[in-house]
Amino acid sequence: MDLDLARQAQAGEESAFAEIVRRYSPRVFSVASRFFRQRALVEEAAQEVFLKAYTQLGSFEGRGSLEGWLTRIATNTCLNMVRGAKRRPEYTVSDLTDDEQGWLEQQSAGDGGEPASVENSIVATDLADRLLSVLSPEDQQALLMIDGEQASIKEVAEATGWSESKVKVRAFRARRKVREAMEKLLSYKRA
Amino acid sequence: MPEGNQTNKHITEMLDNTSIAMLSESELLEIHVHTLDCMSCRDAFEAARLSAVVIKSRAEATIEPSPFFQTRVMAALREQQAVESVPAMLRLWRSAKALVSVMAVTTAALAVVSFIQPSQTTPVVDQTASAYSAYSVIMDQGADDQMSYEQVLSTIYEDDDDAR
Repeated sequence: MDLDLARQAQAGEESAFAEIVRRYSPRVFSVASRFFRQRALVEEAAQEVFLKAYTQLGSFEGRGSLEGWLTRIATNTCLNMVRGAKRRPEYTVSDLTDDEQGWLEQQSAGDGGEPASVENSIVATDLADRLLSVLSPEDQQALLMIDGEQASIKEVAEATGWSESKVKVRAFRARRKVREAMEKLLSYKRA
Repeated sequence: MPEGNQTNKHITEMLDNTSIAMLSESELLEIHVHTLDCMSCRDAFEAARLSAVVIKSRAEATIEPSPFFQTRVMAALREQQAVESVPAMLRLWRSAKALVSVMAVTTAALAVVSFIQPSQTTPVVDQTASAYSAYSVIMDQGADDQMSYEQVLSTIYEDDDDAR
């Protein structure tokens, strides 16, 4: 089914490619959302992914799913887009907004393990972005996919093209760095 | 003490090795028992727990495609195909057209300045010189053609009279 659709699109059938875009854009947007927070950037990245996919349709042999193939193109395209972005060397408590400090206090006091309200969720997401900015884009992806989306090592390896051992190393390193950064924030607060 | 350090390392490695949500019950129990007495591991566990909460929250913050996205992609694809269907030389000409035009106008302007302008100014200079200088009357053959014999003589002797 996927292969037929891909072949029809490759042969120039516009409706077939439109169907691919319609069917798989939620997945491509989900991947791009891991890299970008602004809608405009997510849409730009997703468009780039589909244009790239169209030119590479001939390389899709139907061994895996079209969704998996597009996920890989999306991951690599977004990684290339963010590779030039600068990393923060360190993150200190003085960089925290009042909301973020309040959220940390609330969580440390044990007022709930999950961010319940929309506001809390936004604060937690902002905090995550700040903590993740100390990591390389590759390590960020490994951590977000495994710890955030509960993806398996194998799934991450398939989506990125990295070996499974590489995925494990990236996730371990990312987890440690983020934990240490969070620990530092908490110790500053206690002091 | 070394045994304690070893356990601390074991706990932090356990926390870094896998997502906190994936820790087994026995692992969680081990951590819980250890952190009752160990402050540093308690801090590490707390930091790992909060990190997991924010990472999960970040992963859930996904943006849905707008209803116009499909149309946007198809329009971009058509545009790309239109660009690719034009021959390479024509595309090169289109992009370089403005530059080539400017260069052609500049070349034409330089040609006008180099060839046409000097031929208009030279006779004016010569005429002025032949009218007032004996030297130019004798040496400049072009000026001789334009003056009569009497004019030449009068110009020569006029200079002599002025000298006396």
